[in-house]
Amino acid sequence: MSFLRLLARNRLALAGLIVMVCVVVLALITPLLPLADPNVTSTGDRFQRPFSEGALLGTDHLGRDLLSRLLHGARLSLAVGFAAAVIAATLGAAVGIIAGFYGGRTDNIIMRGVDMLMAFPYILLALAIVAALGPGLLNALIAVAAVNIPFFARNIRGVTVGIAHKEFVDAARLSGMGDLRIIITEVLPNVIPVIVIAMSTTVGWMILETAGLSFLGLGSQPPVADLGSMLGEARSALITNPHTSIVPGAMILIIVMAINLLGDGVRDALDPRLKSGALNRPMPTTLVDRQGPVPQPQAGGALLSIEGLKTEFHVKNRHYKAVGGVTLSVRSGECLGIIGESGSGKSVTALSVMGLVASPPGVITGGAVHFEGQELVGAPYAQLRRLRGDRVAYIFQDPLATLHPLYTVGDQLIEAVQSHHATAKAEARAHAIDLLKSVRIPNAEKRIDSYPHEMSGGMRQRVGIAMALANDPDVIIADEPTTALDVTVQAQILSLLDDLRRDRGLAIVFITHDFGVVAQLCDRVAVMYAGRIVEEGPTDAILNAPSHPYTSRLMACVPELGGGRRELAAIPGMPPVVDRLPDGCAFADRCHKVRKACRRGEIDLVDNGPDRTVRCIDPEPVREAAQ
Amino acid sequence: MAGYILKRLVSAIPVLLGISIIVFLIMAMIPGDPATAILGSYATPENVEKLNRDLGLDKPLVQRYFIWLGNMLQGDFGRSFSLNRPVIDEVLERFNGTLILAGTSFVICSFLGVAAGVVSAARQYGLADKLITFVVLLGISIPSFFLGMMMILIFAVNLQWFPVSGMWPIYGDRDIAALISHLTLPALALATVATGVIARLSRSAMLEVLRQDFIRTARAKGVHERGVIWRHALRAAMVSIIPVLGIQAGFVLSGAVYIEIVFQWPGVGRMLVDAILTRDILLVQGGVVFVAACYVMFNIAVDVAQSLLDPRIKT
Ligand code: SF4
Repeated sequence: MSFLRLLARNRLALAGLIVMVCVVVLALITPLLPLADPNVTSTGDRFQRPFSEGALLGTDHLGRDLLSRLLHGARLSLAVGFAAAVIAATLGAAVGIIAGFYGGRTDNIIMRGVDMLMAFPYILLALAIVAALGPGLLNALIAVAAVNIPFFARNIRGVTVGIAHKEFVDAARLSGMGDLRIIITEVLPNVIPVIVIAMSTTVGWMILETAGLSFLGLGSQPPVADLGSMLGEARSALITNPHTSIVPGAMILIIVMAINLLGDGVRDALDPRLKSGALNRPMPTTLVDRQGPVPQPQAGGALLSIEGLKTEFHVKNRHYKAVGGVTLSVRSGECLGIIGESGSGKSVTALSVMGLVASPPGVITGGAVHFEGQELVGAPYAQLRRLRGDRVAYIFQDPLATLHPLYTVGDQLIEAVQSHHATAKAEARAHAIDLLKSVRIPNAEKRIDSYPHEMSGGMRQRVGIAMALANDPDVIIADEPTTALDVTVQAQILSLLDDLRRDRGLAIVFITHDFGVVAQLCDRVAVMYAGRIVEEGPTDAILNAPSHPYTSRLMACVPELGGGRRELAAIPGMPPVVDRLPDGCAFADRCHKVRKACRRGEIDLVDNGPDRTVRCIDPEPVREAAQ
Repeated sequence: MAGYILKRLVSAIPVLLGISIIVFLIMAMIPGDPATAILGSYATPENVEKLNRDLGLDKPLVQRYFIWLGNMLQGDFGRSFSLNRPVIDEVLERFNGTLILAGTSFVICSFLGVAAGVVSAARQYGLADKLITFVVLLGISIPSFFLGMMMILIFAVNLQWFPVSGMWPIYGDRDIAALISHLTLPALALATVATGVIARLSRSAMLEVLRQDFIRTARAKGVHERGVIWRHALRAAMVSIIPVLGIQAGFVLSGAVYIEIVFQWPGVGRMLVDAILTRDILLVQGGVVFVAACYVMFNIAVDVAQSLLDPRIKT
């Protein structure tokens, strides 16, 4: 039902459906209509123009009524096209099911044959068959159907292989059912939808093909004509009497186009990726739709500051508030950690800075980001592009996915440089080698010509870091850069980042879910939960005396430094769904100290000791860390 | 690389054998006395006898196949009775014309189709995308022979920009300019459907790629959007576009049959249709085997191109 509704929502598909229904109905009732006999010739009335007396669409070279011939021809073409589709589908399905169901040798031999047939340009095969059987509409039908059997066989085989190993088929086998009965009762019902879809996408094609063979004079023979042979006969009069060609040609076009529109609609309605928006192209920058005033940069000389940032995902009518008002800042040479469970909004916060949140569906709905006083939210693309990778660089998780698989690491490094500085290729290459050396990649002169898939995970992440360093940026935003790596490599990468920060005065924003990493690297840490900061302060102070119940719970399940990639799933309960945040404290459902007051109204981020803030009405008392 | 090409060539041998078996079996389906069926009832007894000898019809099927195959391997495809010349000579001559037509069309549809798909994806849901999507739909729905006829009517008859048909002018020089003016309309008509199909698949391949992490990396590096689309996304999308190009080459080769008829182009397709109508079976057989073999070779070239493009493929 929802499928039909979805189809109805697609206006083009609906138009195709309506046209198709009209054509089919017309074809069905053609014999009942008061039309002239399509085959009665009348040499006196040759080539009458359309709209002439007694012949709405005119007449052809033998004076036959074109309207009548058109409808009879369309009837024939549709019938032959559908018949070819049904035959091809039936035989193809039979072959496919046998191959898929029995597998092994049978499968191998059959699919070899199918591959051979598919190695032909299809029409050669059809021509060969017609050559053997002789011209004629029935033979053309057989040829077109035969040529399309491999297509169905291959599709159906794939589906059958999946089904043949399901439990219910095994169960049927154990209960002593014969193969034929299993195929008919268990396999066929599951395969039929696939057959129908494959047919709906190929019917148009078959109509075109049979019309084509008739056009060549190999299909329907005079005086009977389908649309193709009408066009073929009209060809000799193309220049003098074009209407005799245009009438049948336009009819084929209309039929095939309607079928294609309908087929596309069916396909789209069935494709889950379209519904979820997974086939939307992300734009070069995140969409900005800011409500409310634009905050001013914080005082205090921060290099990069985020003020009241709100980023949402708009999927259909639902708004997921991934980031719900985050304020943060980082100074030169400082490392700020952002920690939280997956889904807490930490990565989205980081990507929002340079407008890298994929949109659609991402939208920045509020707040500001300032880099050296420049406002970045809503900044023109050209300005953002100039800063990206040059002043503010990113390091991402999983470098196998984030490096381009088809370019050498050298090319990618050189590109990073040349995107911002006009540098000669040789010079950029020398620089790239230096970069690889600076991230301690051994044998950099050779490694530069490697592809990402030829390197180990640790080496790839070093390349990712080298790329971030390519233009000597002021800020590096590292989004879980060590999560995918094993412990020793992780420690090496962290110490590398730490050295770089000290040597180059880099500001680092380090996103992680691992307190051990925070302890090693970060000066300050912000804890995020459900899109907001729940606690922030100097790393030592927070590690020694966490104040927000969530922070203490997080730390209770902290692995030892480098102890691994354990996800923070040890806390009972799940984070709230961010399109329906509860009133009051988002952590209330999982908090052991929850009271009535927690669920009443907004809870603010308040000062909590020197340089610290917390979002809780009953924070743990802050003990000054013992010196 | 040389090793890889050799490996692919060797693996083509069973495919080529399979093709020859299929064609042979189809021709063996001819009902009744084949020689009379082929030559028609007006054939002289000498002709029937000669054909029977040529086809080796007195021998068992398997033996006949091997004789036929052996002859073909020596370049002997038999003799066309309707043209009274060796099949191979006629096929080679005609294939030249088809190659020019289909080759040009293939180049056109590859470039145009990929470019349209890329622009369409980069401007998803924008005006350009909608326009391209509509034109593409029209292109894949229109029968190429009808399109060819309408092109003749508009551009050759009414506007007189191009000649109506043929490959060369009847009088005048056979130079490149003459060829181009004769080639333009048929090549465009032939390229239309394939362009549409390629554009569609390129668009969805691009959309798939544009969501990948390495595109975000390119943007984070500050690569200009033009570079993101054409250098990063297209390069990765080509991995799935190239096989489509290989398949479409087969469709262009097939569609050439119609276009050669409409534009009176001297190619293999028109030769085959004529041969079928005159029941010149040896000519059909030879033409089909030859073109199919060329197509297999072309697909090997596509595979090699693919392996050059994607370093992850083990060669
Ligand atoms: S506000 Fe209440 S529910 Fe929320 S963390 Fe604090 S004590 Fe727990």
